[in-house]
Parts: sequence; structure tokens; C-alpha cells
Amino acid sequence: MFSWTTFWESFIPLLWAARFTVLVSGLGIVLGLVIGALICAGALSPWKPMRIFAALWVSFLRGVPLLVQLLLVYFLLPVIGINVPALVAAVGTVAICASAYISEIWRGAINALPRGQTEAAKAIGMAPLPQWTRIILPQAITMSLPALINELILLVKASSLVSVVGILEITRASQAQAATTFRPLEVYLAAAFIYLAINLCLAGVGRWLEHRMAV
Amino acid sequence: MNELLAHYGPFLLRGFGMTVLCWLLGTVGGMVLGLAIALIQRHSIAPVRWGLRIYIEAIRGTPFLAQLFLLYYGGPMFGLRLDPIPAGLLGLSVYSSPYFAEIFRSAFGSVPIGQIEAARAIGMSEMSIVRRILLPLGLVSALPAMVNFSIVLTKETVILSIITVPELMYQVQRMSAETFRYVEANLALALFFWGLVELISRLGRRFETRITKHLIERT
Amino acid sequence: MTIKNTLKAALFGLTALGVSAPAFADQLADIKAAGKIMTATDMHYSPFDMIIDGTYQGITKDIFDEVSKELGVEPVYQDIPWTAELPGLEVKKFDIIIAPVTITPERLERYAFSLPIADATVGLIRSANDTETKAPEDIKGKAVGVQQGTAQAAQLQMFGDKIGGITMKEYGTTDEAYADLATGRLQAVAGSLPNLAYLVKARGETFALLEPTTFGEPKYFAWAMRKDADSASFVEAINTALLKMTDDGRMKAIQEKWLGVNPVLPREVPQD
Repeated sequence: MFSWTTFWESFIPLLWAARFTVLVSGLGIVLGLVIGALICAGALSPWKPMRIFAALWVSFLRGVPLLVQLLLVYFLLPVIGINVPALVAAVGTVAICASAYISEIWRGAINALPRGQTEAAKAIGMAPLPQWTRIILPQAITMSLPALINELILLVKASSLVSVVGILEITRASQAQAATTFRPLEVYLAAAFIYLAINLCLAGVGRWLEHRMAV
Repeated sequence: MNELLAHYGPFLLRGFGMTVLCWLLGTVGGMVLGLAIALIQRHSIAPVRWGLRIYIEAIRGTPFLAQLFLLYYGGPMFGLRLDPIPAGLLGLSVYSSPYFAEIFRSAFGSVPIGQIEAARAIGMSEMSIVRRILLPLGLVSALPAMVNFSIVLTKETVILSIITVPELMYQVQRMSAETFRYVEANLALALFFWGLVELISRLGRRFETRITKHLIERT
Repeated sequence: MTIKNTLKAALFGLTALGVSAPAFADQLADIKAAGKIMTATDMHYSPFDMIIDGTYQGITKDIFDEVSKELGVEPVYQDIPWTAELPGLEVKKFDIIIAPVTITPERLERYAFSLPIADATVGLIRSANDTETKAPEDIKGKAVGVQQGTAQAAQLQMFGDKIGGITMKEYGTTDEAYADLATGRLQAVAGSLPNLAYLVKARGETFALLEPTTFGEPKYFAWAMRKDADSASFVEAINTALLKMTDDGRMKAIQEKWLGVNPVLPREVPQD
């Protein structure tokens, strides 16, 4: 029943489509980490409007499905005269959506650090900046690494939704392949292997960083 | 609009109920499996740990869509014939387990080793160390990541529509296809999810403040 | 006021501010000025829209290539999932949806349809080794899959009621229904005739057509366009091109190339 021919042949179009998965999720990760750090800083800021902004950002972006966000960006912005190219809309939306999850991971890690540590640092006369760079951040980043890698792997898989703006990534290519060969099992299995290869790279980087940063 | 609401409202509500149910059971299942994996990883010999590592990377690295498709449509080839809802729940639990396992692993890692050594020194059994030190302390640092991932999981439930579980996405697609009213359909989708996610994150935050009290309390 | 109208009012308010298209636009004139026509289709709907070896092929493409020639413009084909096709059409990301859509009265209220491009009458397939389900009436009391929300689903429902009840299971796409027929959870799958015929040709060892294959009222596939004054001349031009192709035999050649038969298509847009 299982057609090995279809399975092997599926790799050609799927690998070709993987370019877009890697591009969209790669750029999405980099931008998402930067925006996520800013939002996290906002959430922890002493200034209330900033905290409210960060809370709304997280609430909206985690609450509304990425699919709907993409539809909004690509199909509602043109109505008010902003016409973004598909790839820009895809990368931007994925990055912004990811930033909400990433900022929550970092906020959680920072909040979980015992207050005694910063108090001790203050007591020995450490300035605020080194308190952050030498005490809080190194610990929070190490602690949050596994959760962060979890999130980045999810992001690679969630990038499949960008097909709604017409980008032919792995999942979309597998649907097309399944519809012409009428052998979805073989095709989805091949797609799973390609995603696995990409995500193993991410997980590997994560493990390596964890070992390096472990105290 | 009123007609539309009268006709599709009940379907959407029922779909939302199914989404919440699948999410809840799938998440609990995934947490239990994930906790078991994290604990076994901590307390077992190397080959078992490697085996679990392979499980974690393989499940985490592949899309839920592919896993569910293979489970539901491929399973019967190997004699595994499940109905849509059981297949969906099993799929969600298995899919989410490695993420939870990783969250727990890092949470256990963040428990100061001194605490565990002190407990051993006073003769506490490994079982009670897990129960009275590892779990309570680990939970504190794991909670935000657990809430975060549970929220991600709400959105993964939409994939259950491919195996005909009548959840929210299934009903939304149906309404959209029958009426071509995609604006209302997507609006309903967004509002239901936003409500659910808001509820989960509020409950999560409340719980978080409660269990991190000892970290914030000043003398 | 409905939400849809509120949204529309808001959108028109913005348009009135002068951020969007000028008044008295004509879609056909714009297309001719640009020299290209933007289309959207879901490229996984064999044999209409497929990606084979990385290139877009199928009945739709062959027909639309010819239509574009008649209009004297270059077609731009985009693969857009169905979810995004209607929103994109309304905000003018594309000029026409060339994914084959079955004409129904409800849909005619919201969109302009071209003349039929293919037969969409509902038919049935079974598993190749199933000897019990032969004619459409044999599906009584059995589990039958169909794509959710389609005109074919409505026809199946009516037919099922008439013959004394069936267990209808609705799927997001026909691909999943075919997969579940292969697992044995379903005893039959209903769909439009061209899709089923193509499937059975490709995987005859697994699937077979019922005899007679079709039941219910004749239905047709067509293309969807915007239903406003700007688009009227464009719809007209598409239909003129389609009629010309029917008359000079090009339509027949395309239908026979992919389906082996040439259905008689109505020369007016069916209203029911």
C-alpha cells in the first residue's frame, strides 16, 4: 500500500519549498527575539503606560490566531492604503506574533529569580546596569533556554500558515503534492522528515548553548 | 446577520465547547506525560535517557498536522483504528508531551542543588524529595512557560478539524464555505480564541502571583 | 446594523478620504492598461489546479490561458489557499478567483460568476474491493464522506434523505475524505464528477466509480469575480471569451484532453 516512490519523489518539491520555511521562520526568529526583548523590558518597566502597552501587545497577539493576524495584515492594510508585499507581511506578522510569546518566557524567567539576589547586589553597592548584565540576565537567559527553544521550534512549524498570503512553503507544497498524487500519507511523512531536520538544528543549538551557559 | 447568528450561532458555540474540551484534556494529558518523561529522564540510566531524548526530538520536531494525519489516516494500516475524538485527544497529548517535558526539565534544573543535598543529608527519601522539593520549587519557575505553551496549544486544536472533530475551526470553515461570509466567520474565530486565551493567561497570572509570593515578600 | 456593514462603512469612509482607488474606475480598462491579469486559485484541486514538477497545470490553467489571449493580457497565477481567496478578491489583491467554484443561489448574491467552465454534478466513488456498493442507491445506511459546506454536500444530503438516510461525514477538503475511504471508515465519497473521475484514473487499484456515477441536479463550476459596477465590463469580457472558445472548439479540446469527455455547458450563468 505504502508507495516508497511517492515518498522519495516528494522530497524534491518539498525541499524546494523549504527555502521559504527557513527564510520566513529564520527572519521571524531573529526579529521576534529583538521585539520580544523590547516588549519584555516594557512589561517590567516602572512606567505604567509602558506596562499597559506590553500587556495589550501580549494579550492581542497571543489571543488572536496567527492565521487571522495574517489575513488582517495582508488584506485589511491595503484598504487603508498600505500595500505590503506578501513576503514582508509574512515575516513581519510571524515576528510580531512570536515576540509576544518570547517576551512572556523572559518575563517569567526574570520574575522567578529570588529577589534576595538583586538585594544582595544592591547591598554591596553594585550599580543597576551590572546588576542586570551580571546577575539577572545571565541566569534568566540560561533558565529560559529550553522554553525558548520550544517556542522557536513551534515558530518554524507555525510558519506554515503564511501560505495564506500565497507563499509556497513546506506544508502548502505537501498539500499540493498530496492532491496530485492522491497519496497524502507518503507526502506528509516526507514533510515531517524535513521539518524534523530543520528543528533538530535548532534543538542542537539550544543544547549547545545550555551546556556552555550552565554554571 | 441575525439570521446568520440564529443559524450558525449554536454550531459555533458547540464547536467552541468542543475546542475547550479537547484543549483541556489534551493539555492535561500532555502535562502528565511530560512530567513522567522529565522525572524518568532525571532518575534513570543512560540508554533510557537517550531513548526519551529521541522521542522528544522526533515528536517536537514534526508538525502536529503530519502526526495527526498519520495517526488517523495511517493508523488503520497497522490495525490502529480510532474515532476522531479519541484520536484527537491522544494526538494532542502525545504532541504536547515533549514540550512539557522540556519545560519541566529546565524547571527541575533551576532548583538549587543545595536544597536537594540538604534534604538527602537529613535522610529524606528520593520520592519525598521529588514530591516536597523538586515539584513545588520547579513549578514556580515552570509556570509562565507552561501557561505560554498551553496558549499555543489552544491554537493547535484547530488542526483537529482535518480528522473531522467538530471543533470551532471545523464549524467556522463550514459556515464560511456555505455562506461565503468569511469576515463574520474569521471574526468569530478570533473572538472565541481571544476570550479563551485571556481567561487562561489571567488564571495563570493569578496562580503565578500566589506561588511566587515568597520570592517577593519583603521583610 | 450588521458587523459586516459596519466594517464596510468604515472601509468606505477610509476610501472616501482618498487613500484608495479613484472613482469611476473600470476594472477591465485597468487590467488592459497594466497588461496583466491577477488571478488566485487553490493549486491542489486535481485535475483543475495542480502543481506538477513545480509548474502550475490543469483544466483551469488551460482555459484561462486562452481567455487571457482573448483579452490581450498576461495572466499571473497565484496559489492562494481558499481561506484567503474571497478576502483577497474584495480588497483587489486579484482580479478573479479561477478556483472552480460551484454556482449556488446564495453565492450569486455576493459575487459575480462567469459562465460555467466545467461540469460539477455530484457523483460517488467507492473502495475498489467493495462489491456491495454499486449504484448510488446502495449508499443507504452507509457512511459517506463529502467536502463540508459545498453544493455537493447539500445534494448528497437531499439524496440521502430521499433514499432513507445515510451517515454523512463532512471533511475540510476532499483529500481527507479520500484518505478515510481508503482506511475503510467510509463506504463512499461524494464529489464533483471531474475530480472523482481523475482520482479513479490515478488510483484505480484503490478507488472505483459507482455505476451510474452521478445523481441529483446538474451543477457547474465557474469563476468568481467582484459584483460591482466597476467589474461589470470585465465579467462581460470573460464571458465573451468563454463563449468564443466554446464555439471554435478550443473548450472541447481542453475538456477532452483532461477528462476524456466534453460536457455540454450552459451558455448563460445558471441561476439556481
